[in-house]
Amino acid sequence: MISFSAIVSFLRKEFLQILRSREMLVMIFVFPIVELLFLGFAVSNEVRHVRLAFLDYDRSAESRELVSAFSSTDRFDIVPAEISDTPYTILQSWRAQAVVVIPAHFGRDLNRLDGPALQIVLDGVDGNTATISSAYCSGIIQSFIRKELKSRDPRLLAMLTGQTLTGGVDLRHRMWFNPDLRSSLFIIPGIVAVLVTITSMLLSAMSLVREKEIGTLEQLMVTPVSKIELLIGKLVPFWLISFVQMAISLVFAFLIFGVRPTGNIPALFLFSNVYLFTTLGLGIFISTWSSSQQQAMFFAWFCMVFMLLLGGMFIPVANMPAAIRAIAAINPMNHFMVVVRELVIKGAGFHELHNEFLILLAFGTVCLGGSVIAFRKRV
Amino acid sequence: MIRTVDLTKRFGSFTAVDKLNLEIGRGEIFGFLGANGAGKTTTIRILCGLTRPTSGRAEVAGLDLARRSEQVKRSIGYMSQRFALYEDLKLRENLVFYGGLYRLGPQTSLNKAKPYLERFAMERYTDELVREIPPGYKQRLALICALTHDPPVVFLDEPTSGVDPQARREFWSVISDLAASGKTVIVSTHYMEEAEYCHRVLIMRDGISAAQGSPAELKAAHGVGSMQELFLLLASGE
Ligand SMILES: Nc1ncnc2c1ncn2[C@@H]1O[C@H](COP(=O)(O)OP(=O)(O)OP(=O)(O)O)[C@@H](O)[C@H]1O
Ligand SMILES: [Mg+2]
Repeated sequence: MISFSAIVSFLRKEFLQILRSREMLVMIFVFPIVELLFLGFAVSNEVRHVRLAFLDYDRSAESRELVSAFSSTDRFDIVPAEISDTPYTILQSWRAQAVVVIPAHFGRDLNRLDGPALQIVLDGVDGNTATISSAYCSGIIQSFIRKELKSRDPRLLAMLTGQTLTGGVDLRHRMWFNPDLRSSLFIIPGIVAVLVTITSMLLSAMSLVREKEIGTLEQLMVTPVSKIELLIGKLVPFWLISFVQMAISLVFAFLIFGVRPTGNIPALFLFSNVYLFTTLGLGIFISTWSSSQQQAMFFAWFCMVFMLLLGGMFIPVANMPAAIRAIAAINPMNHFMVVVRELVIKGAGFHELHNEFLILLAFGTVCLGGSVIAFRKRV
Repeated sequence: MIRTVDLTKRFGSFTAVDKLNLEIGRGEIFGFLGANGAGKTTTIRILCGLTRPTSGRAEVAGLDLARRSEQVKRSIGYMSQRFALYEDLKLRENLVFYGGLYRLGPQTSLNKAKPYLERFAMERYTDELVREIPPGYKQRLALICALTHDPPVVFLDEPTSGVDPQARREFWSVISDLAASGKTVIVSTHYMEEAEYCHRVLIMRDGISAAQGSPAELKAAHGVGSMQELFLLLASGE
């Protein structure tokens, strides 16, 4: 029933059009690299050069010692503070993102083993930076105190670290696969997932709607070409391009950031393939609902924003409230993101992602199947 | 070749085509005349299987449209009012693409198009991108694309709108030849001198059939000297 020659005819035409369109080529080849560079460097979770102020009410040898412990790392840039400042005025004026208050008698209390106290005040506007700087602060203070108290009462040490510093949170388990907390390692697989989504969903929808806009879709509909042939001819190019883009971004992720997939690469492509069923299906849905490329763009970005925010690109879904997590569970990008990260960072094998595979397959079948049914040859 | 019974199309409460009855034979040139919005395009789109009629029946190339629209598509050629070519493809690539959809190989498509390209003296544009070709020639190309697969029924929706008199003459000579070779041509137009070339015409007004017949019969029946007068009398209404 399906005519091979009609499909070949379509593929040839699509590739000619894509290769002849400068915007398309830029989208396909330059876009991934720019996005990698931009997101990889700029939208970094990595916390460095955090501006830190000290309010030293003690002015003892010990307090100066503590300040110098902070100045030996590039995590923090120490900014000056006036004695008339309060943590509030400092944070309010954006001079620093964190303030360490050293109360009077800190040195004396430390030497007397008399429960010395410190206060860290963080600007919570950027919660992510705040959390991470708090952890760094705690680490530096802990090692400072360990050093100071090396020969003193270990009970005091235990009390200090337990109460006033980290509150017992053990950070190390989060750094297991990414020991330097290198955010590029977290962000880059995410970018790969986003790129694949954009190409397959947005570009395919735009390409279908363009045919509607210029009137060729109507012309196609009076030919004997079937809906299936038409969709195969239109979508296979974007399916292939998504893989090319993925390969390009993985190569550049390695060249620029040294991020190399530690997992099974064929598995990565297999998962992407299944995920593409979903995104191409969404592309068809979008094209069915829109009559102009602008509309398609609007719908596609609406979907993208939802998928990105609930997709764990920047904020891990596990950190979200239960209700949001439930919605995120129906976000295919979320599942794909997990898979890509597991495969790239953790080096997971196919068998560990068995469930995700079935979930993505279910999404793909429903989306692609539904959209093919919804796509009308008659307009 | 074409038969409709009480063919009706409504868009909401608006009736674009109202109980249209047509009978068009093989080898006939059948003209659709009517003011803007009379329902010509809508009727053609229904007959091509692009829109489903609200009620009524239609047969095209001896096949019932409601049940066998996919087979009907093999037997028709359609040049839409807004001709649809890929501007970023070359003339040759457009021909090969459309031919391919009718299961013609690239060489067959080009061979079938060749006589038309020669006739329109546009072979020199074969390797040009369509966007570089003058509009009149794009329109000729759109006609060729609708004909390369040799369909027995051809629908041309205002094929000559906006082209020069030379092109119009070429179009009508092709249309006459098609009819002479036994193909059925349905053509809509706003040019009344073109209506004279039709074997029979349908004058539509607000979706209904205001008159049907050969130009000579109609002129005689209404006592007018030209199609222009007849059109003003019938198509524009009271
Ligand atoms: N999809 C649609 N939805 C609503 N109304 C429509 C639709 N398509 C056509 N119409 C209306 O149906 C009427 C008939 O339109 P049609 O295009 O068939 O006229 P026409 O005779 O081809 O006119 P023209 O000479 O301007 O091409 C018009 O009033 C038009 O606005
Ligand atoms: Mg019209």
